[in-house]
Amino acid sequence: MSWYQMHRCVYDWVRAGEVNSGEGGDGRAGFDVGAYELTDEERKAFENKDIGAFYRLGLHEVLINRYARAAGYARDDYRKILEPLGGKEERKGRWQK
Amino acid sequence: MAEIVLAYCSSHAPMMSSARLAAPEEQRNNFFGALDHVREQAVERGVEACVVLSNEHYTNFFLENFPQICIGLGEKNWGPTEEWLPIDKVWIPGHAGLANHIATYTLNHGFDPAFSHQLELDHGIMTVYYELDQTMKLPLVPIVQNCAVPPLVPVRRAYEFGKALGEAIRAYTGLQRVALVGAGGLSHWIGNPRVGDIDEEFDRWFLQRLERGELDQVLDMPDSEIELAGNGNHEMRTWLAVAGAMAPTTATTLAYEPVYPWITGMGVAEWETGGGGAETSATVEQQETRREESLT
Repeated sequence: MSWYQMHRCVYDWVRAGEVNSGEGGDGRAGFDVGAYELTDEERKAFENKDIGAFYRLGLHEVLINRYARAAGYARDDYRKILEPLGGKEERKGRWQK
Repeated sequence: MAEIVLAYCSSHAPMMSSARLAAPEEQRNNFFGALDHVREQAVERGVEACVVLSNEHYTNFFLENFPQICIGLGEKNWGPTEEWLPIDKVWIPGHAGLANHIATYTLNHGFDPAFSHQLELDHGIMTVYYELDQTMKLPLVPIVQNCAVPPLVPVRRAYEFGKALGEAIRAYTGLQRVALVGAGGLSHWIGNPRVGDIDEEFDRWFLQRLERGELDQVLDMPDSEIELAGNGNHEMRTWLAVAGAMAPTTATTLAYEPVYPWITGMGVAEWETGGGGAETSATVEQQETRREESLT
């Protein structure tokens, strides 16, 4: 898995569509995913806008959040996608009675 | 010498700006009422500049180079970055004198902050700064901390940095009245299966620790435990830095509302500064004049 390349790819795509990022709002139109050394699974996740796959592949959660917004997922929608992937938390914090 | 005449922390969920009306009215009124209160105090106390600590959301830095702390030294910074945030995109005046002094002081006192001469300011700083000064002319020294990408600076270290930051501000001779602001937290989850959850029990416990000055119970928390109240809970570092700067003074909670439509435990807490006396009061007009001067 090319962890860094996957992050760089998603980050560049998100930034390409933001203001103040050089390319302005049209930057995503010609985005070249081939410029990144991704595995087939990573490329497929990107091409399919597959939030669940990105989560399984270890994409940083701050970046998942930004990607989801940029890709048009409402927060409730992406929670529904991710919820089945979460495990039950057994640990307790010191503030929990 | 400068005095910290106003010190507070506030949560910075972007929805407080972009989906303000999504919050129940009572929660909204309580939260913004607290921010109105500190804004009024800033005017009353003649705040000349503010130092705002927040956290990096992959806005300025990426995995090639990710500083734990970065101080904005520039004469101006741009924000907000997010196109969807309903705050005017403007150049915000910095305060190069104070910022360089903070950087130099902390470098000489055991810390190694990075610096930037031009930062992009996202919702992390902009939401809270805007509520402090809706004209966005108050000179701002932004400090961004790494609260997201491991390895993270330990929370005790963030607290100690805050102590040095407080000393630095108080040793600065170029201004008299400075506001110190922490922006971020409280409990929230983003980008994972628990997005939307809030840990009210943690939030109330944390605020109580700040009020009682029982920070040792917080400062030895490992990141794995902090995350039990959400990956966004790492932003407690901004609160702890302000607590460090203001120690031994303890905090007073002005508002706490678990705002589920904003997916965040929204808190505002203030530290008593003794900065409200007649000697430090200034009219709005005087304050505006100082801001204009700082821009020239």
